[in-house]
Amino acid sequence: MDDSLILQIKDLRVEIPMPEGTLTPVRGVNFEMRKGETVGLVGESGCGKSLTCKAVLGINDKKCKVYGEINYNHPTDGAQNLLAMNPRGKQIRSIRGKEISMIFQEPMVAFSPLYTIGNQISEAALLHITKNRQEAKELSIAMMKKVGIANAEKRYNQYPHEFSGGMLQRAMITMALVCHPKILIADEPTTALDVTIQAQILELMKEMQKDSDMGILFITHDLGVVARMCDRVNVMYLGKIVESGPAATIYADPEHPYTNGLMHSVHKIGSRKKERLFSIEGTVPLAMNLKTACGFYERCDHRIEGLCDQADPELVEVAPDHKVACFACDNEACRAMRAKAEAMLKAQGQQGASKEEKRHE
Amino acid sequence: MENKSLSPKKSIFSSVADFFRQDLIRYIINRILLFFPTILLISIIIFFVIQLPPGDYVSTAIAKLQQEGEEVSAETAQEMRESYGLDQPVIVQYGLWVKDIIWTGSNTTYYRLYNSHHNWKYSFSYQTNVWNVIGKYLPMTVTITLFTMLLQYLIAIPVAVYSATHQYSVGDYAISILTFTGSAIPGFIFAILCMYLSFLWTGNANVGMFTQDMLLNGINWGNLGEFMKRMTIPFIVFGFAGTCGTIRSVRAQMLDEISQQYTLTARAKGVSERKIIWKYCFRAAINPTVTGLGTSLSHLFSGSTVTAMVLNLSILGPVLFHALQYQDMYLAGAIVMVQAILVEVGVLLADIGIAFLDPRIRYSGGSR
Repeated sequence: MDDSLILQIKDLRVEIPMPEGTLTPVRGVNFEMRKGETVGLVGESGCGKSLTCKAVLGINDKKCKVYGEINYNHPTDGAQNLLAMNPRGKQIRSIRGKEISMIFQEPMVAFSPLYTIGNQISEAALLHITKNRQEAKELSIAMMKKVGIANAEKRYNQYPHEFSGGMLQRAMITMALVCHPKILIADEPTTALDVTIQAQILELMKEMQKDSDMGILFITHDLGVVARMCDRVNVMYLGKIVESGPAATIYADPEHPYTNGLMHSVHKIGSRKKERLFSIEGTVPLAMNLKTACGFYERCDHRIEGLCDQADPELVEVAPDHKVACFACDNEACRAMRAKAEAMLKAQGQQGASKEEKRHE
Repeated sequence: MENKSLSPKKSIFSSVADFFRQDLIRYIINRILLFFPTILLISIIIFFVIQLPPGDYVSTAIAKLQQEGEEVSAETAQEMRESYGLDQPVIVQYGLWVKDIIWTGSNTTYYRLYNSHHNWKYSFSYQTNVWNVIGKYLPMTVTITLFTMLLQYLIAIPVAVYSATHQYSVGDYAISILTFTGSAIPGFIFAILCMYLSFLWTGNANVGMFTQDMLLNGINWGNLGEFMKRMTIPFIVFGFAGTCGTIRSVRAQMLDEISQQYTLTARAKGVSERKIIWKYCFRAAINPTVTGLGTSLSHLFSGSTVTAMVLNLSILGPVLFHALQYQDMYLAGAIVMVQAILVEVGVLLADIGIAFLDPRIRYSGGSR
């Protein structure tokens, strides 16, 4: 594993057996994270982004089956495949909260109402860095102050119901950062908050990142937040990454029709044009019994009949560090992929035809 | 962090101090103060119910005497009324009732009647004061009730947690089938079944609580074994339905809590599964069960009457039934009063328990 990398996800698949068939919300996700980098994972609800980040910590629901490789570059022990570990075992638990920690979408329900905030924050410290309660308390209060919780000594002994939503999210960030993790996974951390509080929390996360060499995996469907926070962006659709590249490139020059659609459906302040806000027609199909086809086929304006519904495009590098999975994009790499796929389909068609003939004979 | 020198031992003390934060103490005091007016109200209601049957005791008694061929003069009737205090206003009668029957219990109407008119060949259900009757049955009733409850929770809680953490496993299905069956079977049928099986296997139906020896000498080390043997069926029968119900409710609550977001937070922090279950989920899941403590106490008291009659147990349920049957309203009222007080104590303890378990209760209780 490359030393500059901290996290590498290889061909991640998540399957959920259901009475009606197998649901495959994540269908082969590949991406990497460098040290200290903020990587965005963008997509609509149900595209598999939350499952992907839960898979990193091994905290998916019991009925989820997870395949692939998630390599974490441990600072002392070297590269480790997190998926190979027992999800209830000691090894992965020593990584959760210590090396990789996570903050959740709704801070109001993410804390247990029965214990004080202090108890729940210092629990993380007690699990990973100290056995001394007083020391854990001191570390927690210091971190609470750092994330801007005023009157931290008093707040430490309060219960979640005595906190506001924004303060609870700060408390959750405290809990995630108290052990100084190498990776912070933020699963839509600002979705449930007021816009003004949102900005504060994002600023806070950036600040905390500056102090350490922490990588952030930022899951969101809010492109404004992505532009503000991320170095790199992975656009996810129907359990696959359809476009990946530096945030600036993706914003300036989106290639994939889906990314394009997303960019156009953001309302821009100051635009004078009086027109309806663009929206992508249709909804994300259910990830069950999918044929070999591009996942976006049904909703795509640029679809190529006979190709996009017959073959699934893979991610190809269209420019340094910029990958797209689309047959219809107008660039060299995509055209090459298209030609290859067409040739393959043709060969298959001939094979099928000759088989038919043989059967007739 | 002013106290950097604090040792971890001292911090345990400080966390105990946190535990008894102001709002918790205030809540408990509030709750205890509420206890007394409730009892007063219950006693008034019970007194009212006692007055409900048509006529008063004297007319019932006279009617019975006349049935048996006795002549009762108007003076005797008046004398009896006066001795009961029935000529007094209702509020005074209530006072007399509280004073004589509930407070001292020594001067019950029957007692007085029996002592001052020995020549009356007139049989009441229990010819002694109310407390003597209750005192005879109450210890055994309370023992059985508390022991059954203890047994019920000791068995139900681990089973329910197992069932919830192994949802849809073979064990869970087996437990579900058993608990549904247990909740559905009426206690007295189960009692008869147990007696039958006991007779089939041991040749002894093990009915009744006491042997002659126990009645004469009380329970001692010598006959404790026999006593426990005789108690087995009552415990099984009384405890079974409650255990099944508790398993169902705790299991459902546990499943609810396990799917809460905070378990995911705890897991992401690196907390072990066992600690997630017991520290977070269980403490939240047990909440309704603790709330129901008082109610299940009353259920054990009054709901088990038929079962107790089938098993021929000398506890208060059948006595109450008997008292009601013979319109022995003073005895019935006293028994109901005792039960109400015990249930109130149960509810009080449950409420205090809940306040310990859930800080949100303390909070709203304190601000009331």
